[in-house]
Amino acid sequence: MWLVLCASNDISALWAYQGLKNQGLEPLELVTTETLAYGVRWEHRLGADGVSIDITLTDGRRITDKDVHGVLNRLLFAPSESLLLIHPSDREYVIQELNTFFLSWLYALPQPILNRPTPQGLSGQWRHVSEWLCLASKAGLPTPNYRQSSRDLTSEMSVATRVVPVGTTVNTIIVVDGCVVGASAPPHIQEGCQRLAKLSKTALLGIEFATGPEDSWTFAGATTNPDLRLGGKALLDVLIRVLKSEP
Amino acid sequence: MIFLCGIPSEPSLALVIEQLNKLSVPHVVFNQRHFASMELEFEINNGQVEGWMQLEGRSYRLEHFTGVYTRLMNYQFLPELENEPPNSPMRLYCHALHNTLTRWYEIAPARVLSRNAEIGSNFSKPYQVQLILEHGIAVPDTLVTNDPDNVLKFRKQHKQIIYKSISCARSIVQTLEDKDLQRLNRIRWCPTLFQEFIEGTNIRVHTVGNEVFATSVSTIATDYRYAYLQGEQEELKAIELPQELAERCVKLSQALGLEFAGVDLKITPDNQVYCLEVNPGPAFSYYEYHTRQPIAKAVAKYLAGIG
Repeated sequence: MWLVLCASNDISALWAYQGLKNQGLEPLELVTTETLAYGVRWEHRLGADGVSIDITLTDGRRITDKDVHGVLNRLLFAPSESLLLIHPSDREYVIQELNTFFLSWLYALPQPILNRPTPQGLSGQWRHVSEWLCLASKAGLPTPNYRQSSRDLTSEMSVATRVVPVGTTVNTIIVVDGCVVGASAPPHIQEGCQRLAKLSKTALLGIEFATGPEDSWTFAGATTNPDLRLGGKALLDVLIRVLKSEP
Repeated sequence: MIFLCGIPSEPSLALVIEQLNKLSVPHVVFNQRHFASMELEFEINNGQVEGWMQLEGRSYRLEHFTGVYTRLMNYQFLPELENEPPNSPMRLYCHALHNTLTRWYEIAPARVLSRNAEIGSNFSKPYQVQLILEHGIAVPDTLVTNDPDNVLKFRKQHKQIIYKSISCARSIVQTLEDKDLQRLNRIRWCPTLFQEFIEGTNIRVHTVGNEVFATSVSTIATDYRYAYLQGEQEELKAIELPQELAERCVKLSQALGLEFAGVDLKITPDNQVYCLEVNPGPAFSYYEYHTRQPIAKAVAKYLAGIG
């Protein structure tokens, strides 16, 4: 089977699930964060005999590493809905335990998996915009200057994901397994995007650009969870090819 | 110039500072508790990272720092913030400073021990176990489950099993005893990690670049780090590892992106080697104090690019 793992409100992933199904990728299972939240049975083994997972969902579906051929993974967090029942003094601990457990069982899923989990993100490595800028520059993409100071007082919760002012229109390019889909960009920008995906070791990467006069493209940000709809049918075609490929 | 940050009296940081002094390597120490008197700013222009730091009344160019050693504690627990209300100017400044500092050393073109992106593998023990297995080093049989029956079967398969947290929080290793079985049902709330207990000698291997410092730890406590809590004692002794094993430890650490690591091994009486864990930010002072191994000196030399 193939899996699409996502939150139930991830419209973009639901679009991809439907699109992949319509194109005949069968059997394809949609497993939402919410489905994973309640009463499932987990078994994850590691040792001399290798690594395995065996998950039974509340609706009776079973996921084992032996049955999975490929995964579109859009999970951002382990489910936390049921944790409200846990004593507050233990809640943070349980959330941390669940997230680190999810990292491990997702990593144990057979490849191809778009994206493979990392300690910095369940569906690919989260990076601060300053790290993306350095990588984008290394990839040969035009980047704006960036400045950060200890005098810039921001809320502890605010995290900048773009280097352009709020409200700026951006074009999104999506790189999947080295193929470029999404907005139509000049060849040197497409090549830079391919290099950035490779440098960041991200199989499915969304890269945003602000465009200016004379077709100038400037890097604005990158994400491991882009809006897949922006890739249209071309993205689904690549996804099917990648998901059906041998690891 | 080397930049060090944390609480200077913290033993591991203090040992490295002492060694840098002995080696006459220029260095600057940021005492986290003096955060209010520090300023930092960096820029990225065409991929080049530049900036400045104002510390204890002196100014430094960031691009002059060629080595960084981070022993930062969670700033939210600094005593200076204890009575600060949420979003107070001092609390916000402390956040902004630490955020800027972390962002800088993540991308600084310097030898950094260690960047956040590199220490992540230790956040999840079973995830790290998979990386260890990928490098051909044996690990104890491990089960993560929320099914009590599964645990009972696993316990039957092995002479003795232990349990511990999956993450690095509350990570004290305990043996699963008969008396624990009455509360085994509680794991239904949260998958828990169980592991075959391996009889043998605990070995802590510190790797610094290509250098290796191995310490054997003799104790009858399940988790030697907390032997005192179990009313037990531990004995630490510097040992030489077989070269092949030492090289495997270096390779494993470097494969995890760690130039400085604490690799926890267990060697059985019949010489089977198991890797229990790789610690990405080892508090090595405990081992250095007991064995006189020059770990801090190796760290200082690594930071300075000497040797």
